[in-house]
Amino acid sequence: MIIHANVFSYLIALAAALILGLALRLPLLPDKPMRQSWTISAVFPTAVLAVGFYAIVYELGYQGYIVALFTGIITALFAKLILEKVVPAPERDGEEEGSHE
Amino acid sequence: MNEILGIAIAAVISWLNFVLIDTWMGLPEAPGVKGADVIGRSVQERGGDLAGGFFQGNIVCSPDASAGTLLAAIGCYAIGIPEGGLIAAVLVYFGNRLCADPGYAGTTGALSITVIIFLTSFIGFKTEYFIIGMVLAILTIQGIYHPGASRLLGKIAQKMGRHTKLT
Repeated sequence: MIIHANVFSYLIALAAALILGLALRLPLLPDKPMRQSWTISAVFPTAVLAVGFYAIVYELGYQGYIVALFTGIITALFAKLILEKVVPAPERDGEEEGSHE
Repeated sequence: MNEILGIAIAAVISWLNFVLIDTWMGLPEAPGVKGADVIGRSVQERGGDLAGGFFQGNIVCSPDASAGTLLAAIGCYAIGIPEGGLIAAVLVYFGNRLCADPGYAGTTGALSITVIIFLTSFIGFKTEYFIIGMVLAILTIQGIYHPGASRLLGKIAQKMGRHTKLT
């Protein structure tokens, strides 16, 4: 099996999302304990979404460094401005779910 | 590589991938939604372990590393490596968020199995081995004997410091 994607394009998408995410004042990492955190941070999910979105546009036939850069920028803006509205954190009713500390 | 041997090894790799990631991400610690709580307590009533039951309930109720592993394998088979796995990770993330889950386990599982599929492709593993292997791996957890599987998952959670504090 041959890896046929341009690795540099993925790195550009990832770096663009990470840098712009930090510039937009997203935290670098989620709050601790991370596995229970709903915080949208630059690393997760912004960077992960950036490479995933680039994979989607790559498969749709739009390839190259400029596309990767644009995808990273759009992803950072999406994570900062839209993501929480599209898939909000659930409202917890009282202490019955999720709080086991 | 012999197909049967390849599928058996892929099943073991997939099993370790999703069980270790899901346990590390705290699935046995608490039910994420009420359905997982009901499943966990039902498994406990039938002689199982509560933490293992929560694990089983959580992977039923949201796409965690189990679904991430399976969908990434399918994505790599259908679309290619690594695009299929990366697209699967995005889809699993949104699926997680829709299922009241922050999405770490599913996304990590999808990305890790994509790396594993890529690396093992150099030694003759085909992507389809991981699809079948993952189906077999989930079968051992969800499809054969819930109380027994939950006790094993509970022991793994205990060793990894992720056993539930709930009673």
